Amino acid sequence: MLAEMMKYKELLYFLVHKEVRIRYRNSLFGFFWTLLEPLGLMVIYTIVFGYILNVTEGRGEGIQHYSLFILSGLIPWTFFNNSMKKGTKSLSSNASLIKKVYFPREIFPVTMLLSNLVNFVPAFLLVFVVALSLGHPIDWGQLAMLPAFVLLQSVFTLACVFFVSVLNIYYRDVEFIINLVLRGWMYLSPIIYPVSFLSQNESDLVQQFADFYFLNPMAVMISLYHGIFYENQMVSPGFIIYTIVLSLVLLFSSWAIFKRLNRRVGEVI
Amino acid sequence: MEAIVVKNLTKHFRKAYDKTLKGFFISLAKKEKRYKEFTALDDVSFSVQQGESYAIIGKNGAGKSTLFKVLSGIIAPDTGSIQINGKVAPLIELGAGLSRDLTGSENIRLNCAIFGLNKGRIKEVYDDIVAFSELEEFIHTPVKFYSSGMKARLGFSIAIHIDADIILIDEVLAVGDKDFKKKCYAKMEELRDAGKTLVVVSHSLKPLRKICDRALILDQGRVADVGEIGAMLDQYENEKKPKKKKQKGA
Repeated sequence: MLAEMMKYKELLYFLVHKEVRIRYRNSLFGFFWTLLEPLGLMVIYTIVFGYILNVTEGRGEGIQHYSLFILSGLIPWTFFNNSMKKGTKSLSSNASLIKKVYFPREIFPVTMLLSNLVNFVPAFLLVFVVALSLGHPIDWGQLAMLPAFVLLQSVFTLACVFFVSVLNIYYRDVEFIINLVLRGWMYLSPIIYPVSFLSQNESDLVQQFADFYFLNPMAVMISLYHGIFYENQMVSPGFIIYTIVLSLVLLFSSWAIFKRLNRRVGEVI
Repeated sequence: MEAIVVKNLTKHFRKAYDKTLKGFFISLAKKEKRYKEFTALDDVSFSVQQGESYAIIGKNGAGKSTLFKVLSGIIAPDTGSIQINGKVAPLIELGAGLSRDLTGSENIRLNCAIFGLNKGRIKEVYDDIVAFSELEEFIHTPVKFYSSGMKARLGFSIAIHIDADIILIDEVLAVGDKDFKKKCYAKMEELRDAGKTLVVVSHSLKPLRKICDRALILDQGRVADVGEIGAMLDQYENEKKPKKKKQKGA
């Protein structure tokens, strides 16, 4: 696959460039929306969960600076969320091109991932700036691992996008399902609450659920990002290995599915 | 040497009656087939020699477009094999979907990139493409504002400049104006003389006589006949005559 992608790197570059450029076209703030959007969400979540619901009260040890906690999880989540939403439609919205000329259709999901990655990197700098301005300590050793975290997340995201993009050609229901799934998925990941809330919860149901919590790869990955700023958010190495293996297995299997279903894309689309 | 060898190509399409879940259960209860099969191409075999100009003619619904799509790789055949020696460039219609909002010049870059040209090569051919399409004035205008003739001109210019060995031409040429058509036909002859393989799918028969060497008549997905261009066109026109008279009368 990589060899084929290299052959089309000019096309890939063109499509990613175009995607990034037109996303914020006709908007006053342009590229700044990459930063304004997560900042706005941070403010909303901090007000709603930090003040109105007051989730940190009494058990907030370890998550000082709740707004930073939210932001550091929200930004990787936004990368996943947007890649999935745009990626689902990446084939169906390019129907006219796909019907006219043949070239590797993997390009479209990959384009969506890369263009979101371009937005994600500067947004993560924002977390860094917020942490520094709040005077929050940063774990430099963990920060050095950031590229690896991003790579892992990209592999996992690409695997999911391959699968949903081609499935969406056959059944447009996927678009609607994905929106719903993503909403639920976000609340099942440690974004507005730290994982420690689960073990502190007295309900038996939640206690049982806590054991399976890290089977959700996004929970593992977001905890890895949290680990840069919060020591007590570390995940056990077993779950990290699980996530790496799962992402790779998913990538290969969803790519195989993509190739298989791709055969009839030209006529169904 | 052969440029294209097609053997026993068959393509069925499924016409689903009702794709919703409700439709699924209804047809399950009625125990009927959920789709109707439609044979677009039925055991089609032919070969095109390198440097040859080949015409594919046939009525509407004969399977010309399906064959065109199979040749360009957009649709995979059910059975049969296609062997293509060389790089194929289908002459594509521009201005739909993704490329609509892009300018003419961006479309040139996009399409060249789709056909695997690298940056340096794109720069080299860019000026030729613009010059041939005669769109210098509008090259930085989004394609959605182009007339259909302008789109056809740009599409044709791109297709002939991307170093392809085999050029597939669908009926898009029908929209260009007289002068541009003339220029295109001249260019097609030039390409043929330069040793490129041309496959033309067309309705307008007149110019084919000059350009093409051989022709294939498709009828309801089957190969009705293959032969020298003049004989094929005569045969095809004789079949169509009753229809043509009507048109003239109206």
